[in-house]
Amino acid sequence: MREEMLGSILSELNGSSVDIEASAVISTDGLMISAVLPQSLDEDRVGAMSAAMLSLGDRTAQELARGKLEQVLVKGDTGYVLMTYAGSDAVVTVLAKPKAKLGLIFLDVKRAAENIAKVL
Amino acid sequence: MIDKNGQIVRPDFVELSEYAKVFSSLNSEKEALLRDIAKDMAPRLNEVTEHFYEILQSIPQALPYLEGRTDALKKTHLKWMQSLFTGPFDAAYTESMYDVGDVHVKVNLPVEFMSGGITLICNELYRIIHELYQADPKRAADAVSAISSVMGYSLLIMQKSYNASVEEQLDKFLLITGMSRALFDKLASTFKVLL
Repeated sequence: MREEMLGSILSELNGSSVDIEASAVISTDGLMISAVLPQSLDEDRVGAMSAAMLSLGDRTAQELARGKLEQVLVKGDTGYVLMTYAGSDAVVTVLAKPKAKLGLIFLDVKRAAENIAKVL
Repeated sequence: MIDKNGQIVRPDFVELSEYAKVFSSLNSEKEALLRDIAKDMAPRLNEVTEHFYEILQSIPQALPYLEGRTDALKKTHLKWMQSLFTGPFDAAYTESMYDVGDVHVKVNLPVEFMSGGITLICNELYRIIHELYQADPKRAADAVSAISSVMGYSLLIMQKSYNASVEEQLDKFLLITGMSRALFDKLASTFKVLL
Protein backbone atom coordinates (compact mmCIF):
# COMPACT_ATOMS: atom_id res chain seq x y z
CA MET A 1 0.00 0.00 0.00
CA ARG A 2 2.69 2.49 1.06
CA GLU A 3 4.84 1.33 -1.83
CA GLU A 4 2.05 2.13 -4.27
CA MET A 5 1.47 5.52 -2.65
CA LEU A 6 5.16 6.38 -2.88
CA GLY A 7 5.29 5.20 -6.49
CA SER A 8 2.30 7.36 -7.24
CA ILE A 9 3.86 10.45 -5.62
CA LEU A 10 7.06 9.94 -7.61
CA SER A 11 5.17 9.37 -10.88
CA GLU A 12 3.21 12.54 -10.26
CA LEU A 13 6.44 14.40 -9.53
CA ASN A 14 8.07 13.12 -12.72
CA GLY A 15 4.96 14.13 -14.66
CA SER A 16 4.89 17.62 -13.16
CA SER A 17 7.69 18.81 -15.41
CA VAL A 18 9.20 17.55 -18.64
CA ASP A 19 12.54 18.56 -17.17
CA ILE A 20 12.41 15.90 -14.45
CA GLU A 21 14.04 12.75 -15.75
CA ALA A 22 13.98 10.55 -12.66
CA SER A 23 13.13 10.53 -8.99
CA ALA A 24 13.60 8.22 -6.04
CA VAL A 25 12.97 7.91 -2.32
CA ILE A 26 15.92 6.55 -0.39
CA SER A 27 16.54 5.80 3.27
CA THR A 28 19.25 7.90 4.94
CA ASP A 29 21.32 4.69 5.02
CA GLY A 30 21.23 4.60 1.21
CA LEU A 31 18.63 1.86 0.73
CA MET A 32 16.13 2.36 -2.08
CA ILE A 33 12.55 2.75 -0.90
CA SER A 34 10.83 3.64 -4.17
CA ALA A 35 12.08 4.82 -7.53
CA VAL A 36 10.96 5.93 -10.96
CA LEU A 37 14.26 5.78 -12.78
CA PRO A 38 15.27 5.15 -16.38
CA GLN A 39 16.80 1.69 -16.96
CA SER A 40 20.21 3.23 -17.58
CA LEU A 41 20.50 4.24 -13.93
CA ASP A 42 21.56 1.78 -11.26
CA GLU A 43 19.19 1.99 -8.26
CA ASP A 44 21.89 1.06 -5.77
CA ARG A 45 24.27 3.76 -6.97
CA VAL A 46 21.58 6.42 -7.00
CA GLY A 47 20.61 5.38 -3.48
CA ALA A 48 24.08 5.26 -2.01
CA MET A 49 25.30 8.49 -3.63
CA SER A 50 22.15 10.43 -2.73
CA ALA A 51 22.27 9.47 0.90
CA ALA A 52 26.01 10.17 1.07
CA MET A 53 25.61 13.60 -0.53
CA LEU A 54 22.75 14.53 1.75
CA SER A 55 24.73 13.41 4.77
CA LEU A 56 27.71 15.52 3.71
CA GLY A 57 25.41 18.44 2.95
CA ASP A 58 23.93 18.14 6.40
CA ARG A 59 27.34 18.21 8.04
CA THR A 60 28.54 21.05 5.81
CA ALA A 61 25.53 23.19 6.67
CA GLN A 62 26.08 22.44 10.34
CA GLU A 63 29.85 23.04 10.33
CA LEU A 64 29.63 26.24 8.29
CA ALA A 65 26.74 27.59 10.37
CA ARG A 66 24.16 27.49 7.56
CA GLY A 67 21.40 26.17 9.77
CA LYS A 68 19.19 23.17 9.08
CA LEU A 69 19.82 21.65 5.68
CA GLU A 70 17.01 22.12 3.17
CA GLN A 71 18.46 20.62 0.02
CA VAL A 72 21.60 19.66 -1.84
CA LEU A 73 21.92 20.65 -5.48
CA VAL A 74 24.53 19.25 -7.82
CA LYS A 75 24.88 20.85 -11.26
CA GLY A 76 26.64 19.03 -14.07
CA ASP A 77 26.84 19.99 -17.74
CA THR A 78 24.16 17.43 -18.56
CA GLY A 79 21.78 18.23 -15.75
CA TYR A 80 21.00 18.57 -12.07
CA VAL A 81 20.71 16.27 -9.08
CA LEU A 82 18.53 17.64 -6.32
CA MET A 83 18.34 15.97 -2.93
CA THR A 84 15.86 16.92 -0.22
CA TYR A 85 14.93 15.36 3.11
CA ALA A 86 11.55 13.63 3.13
CA GLY A 87 11.10 13.49 6.89
CA SER A 88 14.09 12.63 9.03
CA ASP A 89 14.71 9.12 7.72
CA ALA A 90 14.45 9.47 3.95
CA VAL A 91 15.78 11.44 1.02
CA VAL A 92 14.00 12.34 -2.19
CA THR A 93 16.34 12.61 -5.14
CA VAL A 94 15.42 14.17 -8.45
CA LEU A 95 17.44 14.16 -11.66
CA ALA A 96 16.61 17.07 -13.98
CA LYS A 97 17.66 18.33 -17.40
CA PRO A 98 20.27 21.10 -17.71
CA LYS A 99 17.75 23.71 -18.87
CA ALA A 100 15.25 22.86 -16.13
CA LYS A 101 13.38 25.70 -14.43
CA LEU A 102 14.68 25.15 -10.95
CA GLY A 103 12.14 27.33 -9.17
CA LEU A 104 9.27 25.12 -10.30
CA ILE A 105 11.19 21.96 -9.58
CA PHE A 106 12.07 23.14 -6.06
CA LEU A 107 8.39 23.71 -5.34
CA ASP A 108 7.30 20.37 -6.78
CA VAL A 109 10.02 18.48 -4.96
CA LYS A 110 9.23 20.22 -1.68
CA ARG A 111 5.58 19.27 -2.03
CA ALA A 112 6.45 15.70 -2.96
CA ALA A 113 8.88 15.42 -0.03
CA GLU A 114 6.15 16.54 2.40
CA ASN A 115 3.76 13.95 0.99
CA ILE A 116 6.40 11.22 1.11
CA ALA A 117 7.20 12.07 4.74
CA LYS A 118 3.51 11.69 5.57
CA VAL A 119 3.38 8.26 3.93
CA LEU A 120 6.54 7.09 5.64
CA MET B 1 37.24 3.02 18.31
CA ILE B 2 35.99 6.61 18.54
CA ASP B 3 32.88 7.56 20.46
CA LYS B 4 30.30 10.06 19.19
CA ASN B 5 32.21 12.92 20.84
CA GLY B 6 35.35 12.06 18.89
CA GLN B 7 37.15 10.57 21.90
CA ILE B 8 39.29 7.46 21.44
CA VAL B 9 37.91 4.51 23.39
CA ARG B 10 40.64 2.20 24.75
CA PRO B 11 39.90 -1.51 24.88
CA ASP B 12 39.24 -3.45 28.07
CA PHE B 13 42.74 -4.86 28.63
CA VAL B 14 41.63 -7.60 31.03
CA GLU B 15 39.23 -8.85 28.38
CA LEU B 16 41.85 -8.48 25.65
CA SER B 17 44.39 -10.46 27.75
CA GLU B 18 41.96 -13.33 28.15
CA TYR B 19 41.10 -13.24 24.46
CA ALA B 20 44.75 -13.28 23.41
CA LYS B 21 45.59 -16.06 25.85
CA VAL B 22 42.95 -18.34 24.37
CA PHE B 23 44.39 -17.87 20.89
CA SER B 24 48.00 -18.21 21.94
CA SER B 25 47.47 -20.99 24.53
CA LEU B 26 49.51 -18.98 27.00
CA ASN B 27 48.67 -20.60 30.34
CA SER B 28 50.14 -20.58 33.83
CA GLU B 29 52.34 -23.65 33.12
CA LYS B 30 53.91 -21.95 30.13
CA GLU B 31 54.34 -18.71 32.07
CA ALA B 32 56.08 -20.67 34.83
CA LEU B 33 58.34 -22.38 32.32
CA LEU B 34 59.28 -19.02 30.76
CA ARG B 35 60.26 -17.74 34.21
CA ASP B 36 62.18 -20.96 34.80
CA ILE B 37 64.30 -20.69 31.66
CA ALA B 38 64.84 -16.94 32.15
CA LYS B 39 68.18 -17.52 33.89
CA ASP B 40 69.46 -19.52 30.89
CA MET B 41 68.04 -17.14 28.32
CA ALA B 42 69.00 -13.83 29.93
CA PRO B 43 72.70 -13.94 28.88
CA ARG B 44 71.67 -14.76 25.28
CA LEU B 45 69.01 -12.12 24.73
CA ASN B 46 71.44 -9.44 23.66
CA GLU B 47 72.51 -11.60 20.72
CA VAL B 48 68.85 -12.00 19.72
CA THR B 49 68.43 -8.23 19.69
CA GLU B 50 71.69 -7.73 17.78
CA HIS B 51 70.72 -10.37 15.22
CA PHE B 52 67.25 -8.85 14.84
CA TYR B 53 68.58 -5.38 14.04
CA GLU B 54 71.29 -6.82 11.79
CA ILE B 55 68.61 -8.49 9.67
CA LEU B 56 66.47 -5.34 9.70
CA GLN B 57 69.45 -3.33 8.42
CA SER B 58 69.52 -5.62 5.40
CA ILE B 59 65.87 -4.88 4.54
CA PRO B 60 65.72 -1.64 2.49
CA GLN B 61 62.08 -0.98 3.48
CA ALA B 62 63.08 -1.04 7.15
CA LEU B 63 65.93 1.46 6.90
CA PRO B 64 63.83 4.67 7.14
CA TYR B 65 62.51 3.46 10.50
CA LEU B 66 65.97 2.74 11.88
CA GLU B 67 67.99 5.75 10.82
CA GLY B 68 69.59 7.41 13.85
CA ARG B 69 67.47 5.41 16.27
CA THR B 70 68.98 1.94 16.26
CA ASP B 71 70.72 2.20 19.63
CA ALA B 72 67.61 3.46 21.39
CA LEU B 73 65.48 0.84 19.66
CA LYS B 74 67.88 -1.92 20.68
CA LYS B 75 67.65 -0.89 24.34
CA THR B 76 63.84 -0.97 24.24
CA HIS B 77 63.91 -4.25 22.37
CA LEU B 78 66.21 -5.92 24.86
CA LYS B 79 64.05 -4.73 27.75
CA TRP B 80 61.01 -6.23 26.08
CA MET B 81 62.85 -9.50 25.40
CA GLN B 82 63.69 -9.73 29.11
CA SER B 83 60.06 -9.15 30.02
CA LEU B 84 59.08 -12.13 27.85
CA PHE B 85 60.77 -14.40 30.40
CA THR B 86 59.60 -12.66 33.54
CA GLY B 87 55.98 -11.73 32.93
CA PRO B 88 53.46 -11.30 34.36
CA PHE B 89 51.33 -11.42 31.24
CA ASP B 90 48.47 -9.51 32.73
CA ALA B 91 46.36 -6.52 31.72
CA ALA B 92 49.31 -4.17 32.30
CA TYR B 93 51.53 -6.18 29.92
CA THR B 94 48.68 -6.28 27.39
CA GLU B 95 48.25 -2.52 27.64
CA SER B 96 51.97 -1.95 27.17
CA MET B 97 52.02 -4.19 24.06
CA TYR B 98 48.95 -2.40 22.75
CA ASP B 99 50.81 0.90 23.15
CA VAL B 100 53.83 -0.56 21.35
CA GLY B 101 51.52 -1.47 18.47
CA ASP B 102 50.09 2.05 18.64
CA VAL B 103 53.56 3.59 18.34
CA HIS B 104 54.20 1.38 15.30
CA VAL B 105 50.98 2.66 13.75
CA LYS B 106 51.92 6.28 14.46
CA VAL B 107 55.28 5.90 12.67
CA ASN B 108 53.41 4.24 9.77
CA LEU B 109 55.31 1.00 10.14
CA PRO B 110 53.93 -1.47 7.58
CA VAL B 111 51.80 -4.09 9.32
CA GLU B 112 53.89 -6.99 7.98
CA PHE B 113 56.90 -5.67 9.90
CA MET B 114 55.35 -6.90 13.14
CA SER B 115 54.64 -10.47 12.04
CA GLY B 116 57.94 -10.48 10.15
CA GLY B 117 59.78 -9.21 13.22
CA ILE B 118 58.15 -11.77 15.49
CA THR B 119 59.15 -14.53 13.06
CA LEU B 120 62.76 -13.34 13.06
CA ILE B 121 62.89 -13.21 16.84
CA CYS B 122 61.19 -16.59 17.25
CA ASN B 123 63.64 -18.25 14.87
CA GLU B 124 66.56 -16.92 16.84
CA LEU B 125 65.04 -17.82 20.22
CA TYR B 126 64.28 -21.35 19.02
CA ARG B 127 67.85 -21.73 17.79
CA ILE B 128 69.14 -20.76 21.23
CA ILE B 129 66.68 -23.07 23.00
CA HIS B 130 67.78 -26.05 20.94
CA GLU B 131 71.37 -25.16 21.66
CA LEU B 132 70.78 -24.82 25.41
CA TYR B 133 68.61 -27.89 25.85
CA GLN B 134 69.95 -30.26 23.23
CA ALA B 135 70.37 -32.90 25.93
CA ASP B 136 66.75 -32.53 27.02
CA PRO B 137 64.47 -32.59 23.94
CA LYS B 138 61.28 -32.44 26.03
CA ARG B 139 62.39 -29.30 27.83
CA ALA B 140 63.41 -27.80 24.48
CA ALA B 141 60.02 -28.63 22.96
CA ASP B 142 58.17 -27.22 25.97
CA ALA B 143 60.29 -24.07 25.90
CA VAL B 144 59.67 -23.57 22.18
CA SER B 145 55.94 -24.00 22.78
CA ALA B 146 55.99 -21.45 25.64
CA ILE B 147 57.97 -18.95 23.57
CA SER B 148 55.64 -19.47 20.62
CA SER B 149 52.68 -18.74 22.91
CA VAL B 150 54.08 -15.58 24.47
CA MET B 151 55.17 -14.24 21.08
CA GLY B 152 51.79 -15.06 19.53
CA TYR B 153 50.12 -13.37 22.50
CA SER B 154 52.22 -10.23 22.03
CA LEU B 155 51.69 -10.16 18.27
CA LEU B 156 47.94 -10.52 18.55
CA ILE B 157 47.76 -7.54 20.89
CA MET B 158 49.97 -5.36 18.69
CA GLN B 159 47.87 -6.25 15.67
CA LYS B 160 44.81 -5.17 17.61
CA SER B 161 46.30 -1.66 17.67
CA TYR B 162 46.55 -1.72 13.90
CA ASN B 163 42.95 -2.80 13.54
CA ALA B 164 41.89 -0.20 16.07
CA SER B 165 43.79 2.44 14.14
CA VAL B 166 42.01 1.58 10.89
CA GLU B 167 38.70 1.54 12.74
CA GLU B 168 39.53 4.91 14.30
CA GLN B 169 40.19 6.41 10.88
CA LEU B 170 36.86 5.10 9.64
CA ASP B 171 35.04 6.28 12.76
CA LYS B 172 36.58 9.72 12.27
CA PHE B 173 35.47 9.78 8.63
CA LEU B 174 31.93 8.80 9.63
CA LEU B 175 31.87 11.42 12.36
CA ILE B 176 33.07 14.16 9.98
CA THR B 177 30.75 13.26 7.10
CA GLY B 178 27.78 12.39 9.28
CA MET B 179 27.40 9.09 7.44
CA SER B 180 26.15 6.04 9.29
CA ARG B 181 28.13 2.82 9.22
CA ALA B 182 25.23 1.28 7.30
CA LEU B 183 25.52 3.98 4.61
CA PHE B 184 29.28 3.52 4.41
CA ASP B 185 28.80 -0.25 3.98
CA LYS B 186 26.18 0.43 1.33
CA LEU B 187 28.57 2.72 -0.57
CA ALA B 188 31.37 0.19 -0.28
CA SER B 189 29.22 -2.70 -1.51
CA THR B 190 27.66 -0.65 -4.31
CA PHE B 191 31.00 0.53 -5.65
CA LYS B 192 33.09 -2.54 -4.90
CA VAL B 193 33.39 -3.20 -8.64
CA LEU B 194 35.44 -0.01 -8.97
CA LEU B 195 37.79 -0.83 -6.10
